[in-house]
Amino acid sequence: MKKITLLLILLTTLIFARVNVVTSYPYLGEIVKEVGGNQVHVKVLASPKVDPHFVTPRPSLIPAIVRADILVANGAGLEIGWLPPLIRSANNPKVRIGSKGFIDASQAIRLIDVPKAVSRAYGDIHPEGNPHFNTDPHNILPIARLVAKKLEETDPTHRAEYEKNLQHFTNHWERFLKEFDKKMQKCKDKKVVQYHELYNYLLRRYGMKSLIDIEPLPGIAPSSKHTLKVINTIKQHHIDTILQDPYHEKRTAKFIAAKTGAKVVILPHDVGSVKGADRLESF
Amino acid sequence: MTKKIIALSVATTVSLFAQSELEEVKALLEQQIKVTQALQKRLSKLEAQQKHLAKAEKKHTTEIKKVQQKQETAKKAALDTTPTQQRGVTFSQKSFLPDISLILDTSYVSRNKKDEELKHLEIPGIAHGIMGEHSHGHGHSHAPLNAHDGFNLNYAEVAMQSNVDPYLSLTGIFHLSENNFEVEEAYGETTGLGYGLKAKIGKFRSDFGRINVQHSHVQDFSDMPLVYTAFLGGHGIDDIGAQLQWTLPTDTYFMAGVEALQGKNPTMYGVDAIAPEGDEEDIVVDSPNQPNLLVGYLKSSFDIGDTSVLYGVSIAHGDSRINHLEHEEPHAFVAKSYLYGADLTVKHYFDSYSYLSFQGEYLYRDMDGDFYTYSDDTMTSFDVTPTVKKQSGYYAQLVYAYNRNYRFGVRYDNINKNDIYKNNLPVDTENNFDRLTAMIDYTPTEFTRFRLQHNHNSAMFNEEGEKQNINSLILQMNLAIGAHGAHAF
Repeated sequence: MKKITLLLILLTTLIFARVNVVTSYPYLGEIVKEVGGNQVHVKVLASPKVDPHFVTPRPSLIPAIVRADILVANGAGLEIGWLPPLIRSANNPKVRIGSKGFIDASQAIRLIDVPKAVSRAYGDIHPEGNPHFNTDPHNILPIARLVAKKLEETDPTHRAEYEKNLQHFTNHWERFLKEFDKKMQKCKDKKVVQYHELYNYLLRRYGMKSLIDIEPLPGIAPSSKHTLKVINTIKQHHIDTILQDPYHEKRTAKFIAAKTGAKVVILPHDVGSVKGADRLESF
Repeated sequence: MTKKIIALSVATTVSLFAQSELEEVKALLEQQIKVTQALQKRLSKLEAQQKHLAKAEKKHTTEIKKVQQKQETAKKAALDTTPTQQRGVTFSQKSFLPDISLILDTSYVSRNKKDEELKHLEIPGIAHGIMGEHSHGHGHSHAPLNAHDGFNLNYAEVAMQSNVDPYLSLTGIFHLSENNFEVEEAYGETTGLGYGLKAKIGKFRSDFGRINVQHSHVQDFSDMPLVYTAFLGGHGIDDIGAQLQWTLPTDTYFMAGVEALQGKNPTMYGVDAIAPEGDEEDIVVDSPNQPNLLVGYLKSSFDIGDTSVLYGVSIAHGDSRINHLEHEEPHAFVAKSYLYGADLTVKHYFDSYSYLSFQGEYLYRDMDGDFYTYSDDTMTSFDVTPTVKKQSGYYAQLVYAYNRNYRFGVRYDNINKNDIYKNNLPVDTENNFDRLTAMIDYTPTEFTRFRLQHNHNSAMFNEEGEKQNINSLILQMNLAIGAHGAHAF
């Protein structure tokens, strides 16, 4: 009997010792791991292989939210179709939307492409602005700082450790950015075509320009008429690169490539979405 | 002479004196000028000094003022009360508007049976009047979805949802049909009880089984499974009461829930006392204690790679007061009833949009009570026959989503058991009723869906006891505006 009690106490301390953090997407999970280090237990809800707009709200995801101390979401409407019902089902006051433990990463970022007028006639647009800010590596540090602040509030006893981790990560990331910026310099003024408005933050950062999207409107599948227009645009501007995400159909992009000679480049949108992109730096 | 001298002397004196005085005055004046000049010099010197001092002081004060101003602006900025942008109308409550959406469900139906024929069809011993328009008895007639040949306005659903305060949220879902307003759901729900607990109070769709809680526009077919319609009617268990659900603190999803409901469902339960038609005071069986219906269930879910499995068992227990005394063959059934359900959903994802899903449910009901029929034409007294019904049915459906836009599905419905005992003796009844359904749906955007569905229904019998084959072709359109709905699992 004594042994069982002891075991129970041990188990509970093990569970309680670490801060339970749930993140919607894998890249957020990586950031939390960097900042939280050994003090956090991270669970990622969405698989990196699926369209971030269309994650299935599987019931098996609920238990993690029930036990979460902190929930980190991308925000800007990206999870609108799947995260709210899971949060409702979990009914956890700590991570209820708007409560202390709910982190909206988009709050740390100045969003671009904020539509002046909002109507579903323009496709499935996000009134808050473009939510795919994680494609610009310069947006990682502001999120890391926000995460660190929240971790320190939730778990003040390990404040020093979070500070240290953040400092360490900042140094590391700034070194990486320097290198990356240098590499990206040659891409300046490059014109590209993309499937969805997924890479706008990255393109803007490095002075590139996307002239046209393969989907005619956000969230609406390509049509033959629009595809012709894309082909003409590519030919007219001598564009040689088509940016394709890993989750949408690749047939249209390949068809356009075959017609124009442009190259389809599959650019990961999140950690782990393609082989070799298993770290924050590499995606 | 003297006069002349005096005059002269006077004149000289005058002139003399005048001269000396003039000189004196001149000297004085000169002196005074000198003094004044000196004074002026000193004054201007002083003035210059003062000016300098004033200048310095002024400089100093402006500096102080500047600093003060700076401090003040900083303070002001912190406590700024001037609006940075134009705000809305005074006392406008726009930002507190709940999430509102409007969903339209409309269809075109082509069927091989006339509407009036459908009304009289039944599943013997189980249900009647489940197809076609029928009356609930309260001067309110009600049509199930896609009831009419030709065009149907199934409903326009208005849904509103918002947080009430930090503790509760409120949801209202209203079905508006051509002449009716129905509160489909209206409930308050806790938003943060913690410990995995969640409570709901109001009118809501029960979490019994799998499909019962789903609104018809998120279901994979245009109509409810046959076993649900036959046992529980077109709405399933949608009742007034309270619900408590608990998600267990385990890694695997386990959820247990209980509900206490009024039990008004007219097809299987019901709460009205039984009395002869037209003589409501001569009550034969009084109404049951309310809440009359207790529901309990256990659900669990797990993933194997890209495959998700959700399964559960449910039970619903309550008293039955099924009153069909106004029918052509007047009867009533009073019983203690149990409904058991088991459900399984397996969904495999090939990529973000393409999946194959299986969903199936098995329902079994056990009703033990008395069957009431009028003993003579006066319709005042009853014959009472002890009656037991043990009935079961199931549905199984397979849906394949080819991509984000196209889905294909087939469903098989079967009521496979219809054992009825009157006075402990089995009654000879039909016991095999089935229906086959196929559908294709096209979803060009997240807010529009067109569906073509074909039903081959061989579950219905006419009043002569002859099996009927009903073929329906349904072209259904769903449109949604307003707040973004959640994706279904």
